[in-house]
Amino acid sequence: MAEEQQDPSQGDMEGVNCLAYDEAIMAQQDRIQQEIATSNPLVSDRQELSVLNKEYALDDIVYQQKIKDLHKKYSYIRKTRPDGNCFYRAFGFSHLEALLDNSKELHRFKAVAAKSKLDLVTQGFTEFTIEDFHNTFMDLIEIVEKQGTITDLLNAFNDQSTSDYLVVYLRLLTSGYLQREGGFFEHFIEGGRSIKEFCQQEVEPMSKESDHIHIIALAQALNVSILVEYMDRGEGGTVNHHVFPEGSDPHVYLLYRPGHYDILYK
Amino acid sequence: MESKYNRKSPAVKRLMKEAAELRDPTEHYHAQPLEDNLFEWHFTVRGPPDSDFDGGIYHGRIVLPPEYPMKPPSIILLTPNGRFEVGKKICLSISGHHPETWQPSWSIRTALIAIIGFMPTRGEGAIGSLDYTPEERKMLAKKSQDYCCESCGIPMKAALLPLTSNSLPSEYDRKDKELAKQISFKAESSTSSKSNEMQVLPTIASPDSTGETPPTTENQAAMSVSEQADFPSRAQTNPSEDTSQPTPPTNRPLSPRQRRAQQPRRPASPVYPQGQHQADRTNHLGSAILIVLLTLALAALIFRRVYLANEYKFDYEL
Repeated sequence: MAEEQQDPSQGDMEGVNCLAYDEAIMAQQDRIQQEIATSNPLVSDRQELSVLNKEYALDDIVYQQKIKDLHKKYSYIRKTRPDGNCFYRAFGFSHLEALLDNSKELHRFKAVAAKSKLDLVTQGFTEFTIEDFHNTFMDLIEIVEKQGTITDLLNAFNDQSTSDYLVVYLRLLTSGYLQREGGFFEHFIEGGRSIKEFCQQEVEPMSKESDHIHIIALAQALNVSILVEYMDRGEGGTVNHHVFPEGSDPHVYLLYRPGHYDILYK
Repeated sequence: MESKYNRKSPAVKRLMKEAAELRDPTEHYHAQPLEDNLFEWHFTVRGPPDSDFDGGIYHGRIVLPPEYPMKPPSIILLTPNGRFEVGKKICLSISGHHPETWQPSWSIRTALIAIIGFMPTRGEGAIGSLDYTPEERKMLAKKSQDYCCESCGIPMKAALLPLTSNSLPSEYDRKDKELAKQISFKAESSTSSKSNEMQVLPTIASPDSTGETPPTTENQAAMSVSEQADFPSRAQTNPSEDTSQPTPPTNRPLSPRQRRAQQPRRPASPVYPQGQHQADRTNHLGSAILIVLLTLALAALIFRRVYLANEYKFDYEL
């Protein structure tokens, strides 16, 4: 009788042992994602910049010095969940938040956003699959247009499906722009991949992290200037920044630490 | 169906749209949700011409996760075809060797076209993949037309539009075909095939050729274990003896190659269907223990009776 009880559990053990590597990795990634999700909102409240100090050891001179440097230019930070989509979420939130007080830019941005779906469809994206994502994007812009509050925006961005749909659409816009300007961008792609392959492997799938090339493409696709402050272990004691596209007047300020983007406020 | 679902749910909205898109059968594929479940579809695809699957018409299930389209659909073939195992989830998935992953802007149509495009490729020993000989596949292709899905009730011959000689692929198909090239297929065993596979495990040599997953909590995957486990054995039965009734479980004749491929997966002479057995074992473990207890008690009583009848005395205490 004891044997009979043991049987199924033994089978389970073997099943676990025989997990394919991919499946095991995926399961682990899921667990990590879940852990990250419970401890980080998709987009946080605005916090004093000094919260950064606590994230690094006091004797971590490189980072403490750079945080001090950051304080000279910025006062607040808004954190995003480190799930590989943080650039798009940070960009989306930061820009829409800025549009709350800038009706002229809002007008221009809405027109660009409205037209963008047609561009994608002409390029060969399937209309009925992308229109839900586009609608979500337009709905968010509408919140701003109707004089919604920052809380309204924050709620929308913290609703998983709304927030993810926005990310999907911003990814599609990035991919669309990279492919339209493929002649230029293909020189920057590593591994002998075509621009199309790059977009399908590194841009369109969720959770794929963003690099310079993604930021340039999205900034140009929507004609929004983005400034990124780079804070890493490099020597020098100061935080370097980069404006996309170069020489423009930035509207969106992001803090980059290896693998992650947060939003900065003056 | 409309009233049953929250139309604000992104997945419902999207699936309604896809159902409308795919309403009419085409020459190559057709898929529609089940009448009572928007998250389970049945599909029919035509085997690619110029391949061993030419003339074949294959039927299967698509299970959509609640997070669709953020998470990929799972595809399960029901018609024996010689390329994919029957009744086992094929997952559009991440793999170390194929970094392509599911994209939310893909659709069920993309997945169907990918399946068609994937049939002539080599299985190469992946779990859920079969490398039958061309002859076997051609034979199965011919027989596939006689398959009839119980829940759809459509004969395969009528499931798709007839092929015309000058049929050009539509604009959509062309786009999706291009996308489909990017998709990598990988088998993923569902909760039920996992239990089936327990008996097979010792024969699997390398761990990276298996497709095991921990039991998922998705309600679709957990749905009706016995039905799922039972299906493959019925669907794989050989319809050659009785084409009008392809369902009754018979011991199908196997070619030597098939026998080699299949033998470790099935007990040589099953007393009753394996799926049933598994379901019993998991569902009725309690009753099994009870039965054993009762049997022991009965045995003890009979034993005692025999002793008493022979007028033996008990030297020991019970």
